[in-house]
Amino acid sequence: MAAKASSAYQVIGKRLPRVDAKERVTGQAIYPADLNLPGMVHAKLLRSPHAHARIRGIDASRAEALAGVLAVVTAADFPELPIGATIPMGETGYDMWMVAGINLARGKVHWVGQPVAGVAAVDVHVAEAALALIAVEYEPLPAVLDVAAAMTPGAPVLHEHVVTKGVEPRPRAPSNICSRTVIARGDTARALGGAAATQRIKVEVDTAHQGYLEPQVVVAQVDANGFATVWASTQGQFTAELMIARMLGMPQSQLKVVPLEIGGGFGGKIAIHGEAVAVRLAQKCGRPVKLAFTREEVLQGGSGPPAGALIDVAVGADEDGRLVAIEGTFRIDAGGLPGLSPSLLMQAAAALYQTPNLNLEGYDVVTNKPRTEAYRGPGGIQAAFAMEQAMDALCQRLHLDPLKFRRLNASVTGSTMPIGTPFPSIGLTTILERVAEHASWTDPLPKGRCARGRGLAIGYWRGTSMTSAGHITIAGDGRPMVTMGAIDLSGTRTTMAQVVAEEFGLSSSDIHVSTGDTKSVGYSDGAAGSRVARTMTAALVEASRDALAQLSRRAAEKLQCRREDLKYARGVFGSRQAGGPAISLAELMQATLTDGAVVGRGVSTKLPLGVEIGAHVCDVAVDTATGQVTVLRYTAFQDVGLALNPAAVEGQIEGSVVQGLGWALTEGFDYGPDGRLRNASLLDYRMPTALDVPKIECVLVETPVPNVPYGVRGVGEVPIVPPAACVANAIARATGVRLTRMPMTPERVLRALLEAGRP
Amino acid sequence: MKTLITCTVNGEERTALADTRDTLLELLRDRLGLTGAKEGCGNGNCGTCTVLVDGAAVCSCLMLAQEAPGHDILTIEGVAQGGALHPIQQVLVERGGTQCGFCTPGIVLSAKALLDATAAPTDAEIRHAIAGNLCRCTGYGKIVEAIASAAVAMKGQ
Repeated sequence: MAAKASSAYQVIGKRLPRVDAKERVTGQAIYPADLNLPGMVHAKLLRSPHAHARIRGIDASRAEALAGVLAVVTAADFPELPIGATIPMGETGYDMWMVAGINLARGKVHWVGQPVAGVAAVDVHVAEAALALIAVEYEPLPAVLDVAAAMTPGAPVLHEHVVTKGVEPRPRAPSNICSRTVIARGDTARALGGAAATQRIKVEVDTAHQGYLEPQVVVAQVDANGFATVWASTQGQFTAELMIARMLGMPQSQLKVVPLEIGGGFGGKIAIHGEAVAVRLAQKCGRPVKLAFTREEVLQGGSGPPAGALIDVAVGADEDGRLVAIEGTFRIDAGGLPGLSPSLLMQAAAALYQTPNLNLEGYDVVTNKPRTEAYRGPGGIQAAFAMEQAMDALCQRLHLDPLKFRRLNASVTGSTMPIGTPFPSIGLTTILERVAEHASWTDPLPKGRCARGRGLAIGYWRGTSMTSAGHITIAGDGRPMVTMGAIDLSGTRTTMAQVVAEEFGLSSSDIHVSTGDTKSVGYSDGAAGSRVARTMTAALVEASRDALAQLSRRAAEKLQCRREDLKYARGVFGSRQAGGPAISLAELMQATLTDGAVVGRGVSTKLPLGVEIGAHVCDVAVDTATGQVTVLRYTAFQDVGLALNPAAVEGQIEGSVVQGLGWALTEGFDYGPDGRLRNASLLDYRMPTALDVPKIECVLVETPVPNVPYGVRGVGEVPIVPPAACVANAIARATGVRLTRMPMTPERVLRALLEAGRP
Repeated sequence: MKTLITCTVNGEERTALADTRDTLLELLRDRLGLTGAKEGCGNGNCGTCTVLVDGAAVCSCLMLAQEAPGHDILTIEGVAQGGALHPIQQVLVERGGTQCGFCTPGIVLSAKALLDATAAPTDAEIRHAIAGNLCRCTGYGKIVEAIASAAVAMKGQ
């Protein structure tokens, strides 16, 4: 299909309200916490008080004897998975040994808050009382909490089986450095040595949290035949099913995951967190079990925060501002279990710049903190905080305009990506042209009481494709009923109604879209990696055309003409001859309902990548007396491929930017020396409120992705990549001081100003 | 210990057996089946449990069920009248003011408390009124615009 602009379509590209919005504004939308089943009991998890300890033994007998307690489980109630166990996911699979560890500790605990046991009781109060009666004998071990310390020889080792991968010869001693990844071409050291100007920067990024407002909740029920149903708040029902089945050693055919509404995920609800424990408890006590995390549990080790990082970057350019080399060392603070790839971070840092010499090294490092998990464009914001500041400082050094510098060095379609393959169609230069002519860049910086500065940063996110499936059943009134294998994280039901409406030539209100459970729709990977809109569009285009082909056979029969003599438009099949017979979908289905169902099916796998690119501009005011940074104006420019629904796209961008501003300015985990999170509440872990952020302005650029239906590109992740760097660059331009620790809290800003003698 | 609680919720007198430790939020959700108010934090920091008590926006996780008798409580389930959305709900739908929806009931009620008291609020007043309601999806812009637009719509009624 030749890619066209969104304005060329009837339904696609329209700013339609979410089809599920009315349930949301009336409180009717059902999340797992809203489910109450007859006879349901309540579960709680016992969590580790230690950052690092060996579990010598667990005695649950006193808890089991407490009146009202129905079941207790520990890791002993689950088969032990071998190191390296994986489940299918996309092209790579997913580390199931790690997932088992974040659900229940076995043998050792590696962070404060790691689950050790689960209890089911008649109510939450009894379950909590029972937790206090479980006697766990711990042998506390020395803990290591920060990346640099964990990489030091002689540091306490978290995992005896881990030796650093990616190093030759293969080391013999165990290490907290789980893997080393290298992307290199040319001679970077030499190029940096000969550059007209070089800029080095070292940044540290604290772990933060996805901050979804709905804590993890699951309800599990096991019927008399042993068939389990799990109602979950998950980013992927099939991934959850695979994980639960694998943890329990249960056949997938004995298990169904029903995804309910999800109160935000942002990467934090890809893995299961207690779902398998709830099923085992339900099996043991024979009653439905609800397991609901408190907010403190969510933050204090119950669900993975995104990775912190320690990053060194060096960039060099010639006198004209042309980049000659990029060098970077990226150390990821993965938390208590291994298996995070630094590659995405490295790609996010360097992909948008063309340079003959590139040397990036990444390290996956374990520390005694919660195992980190994905957060919207994982690694991107950390990488950009380092790289975009280095580029900005290089521009200052060379007295170059930061926008012109980026236009000079920008990757274009066909440029080499860090991984060595050519870039598919991208619109970075178009975005930068739009920035150059936009008021957010050309308006003079308004004067005010505080120091003011304007920042620019660009961002890249690779995204994924993986697998999506859906089917379309034609209702008795001729309307398409869509069941998709993806959950709705970002307005997917609405955009997919638009896609199917476009294919059928109908109105989007004629289309009903729902998310299927794992036994009612075909396998789909989860909602992650900005993949669902693009790949589900492909699957449902295929399903629509399959259904229309079946309908056209029936129509030909009814109208007694050959299929090639039929035309179809706007819900009506008719003869190509003027004045010939015609039949609407409704009439056709009523006439042929008893001939059998019309079900169109579609699957999409291995679709071309739809990489995401954005450029952000912001104005900040810095109160040099307090260190308070206020974002005055914020504009996000983004290549969105084709906006299926511009309102939904803006919603993704605006929310994503504000999350990025939160991590940039206030959101960071504060661990004590004992590994306990000291700000495990939404009062002390400070997410932006409506008072903290300006209206985010969005400028959409459309460069359709070739060989993808409608040219759809991912949109939801990249807007979180530039904000911290954009704000830091604005602060540097306002005050002359570079902030190298994120979040840039007033205390840190003030300290940096004082150290530079600039209060 | 459990006691019988009688209070007025959405204009109806309701009675339920409640644990003395129950919060108003637990009374509404677990005893009365009104699950529109959500628990996002349980200690008054996120606003997802917001209800109106005698017209004032209150975090129902911070009020005990035992305190409910004698008060007029409005939950999200009581905002739409006879199947017709309240203007605040209507504009949130139209203007993309709800995404995951978990904060939405609380936002609607905080906005209602504002607009019932202030006919033409400024942008700053709107942002202040919902400052106790965290939203992690929208970045607030479309919510603030929607509330301003609802104020105009309500004036015309």
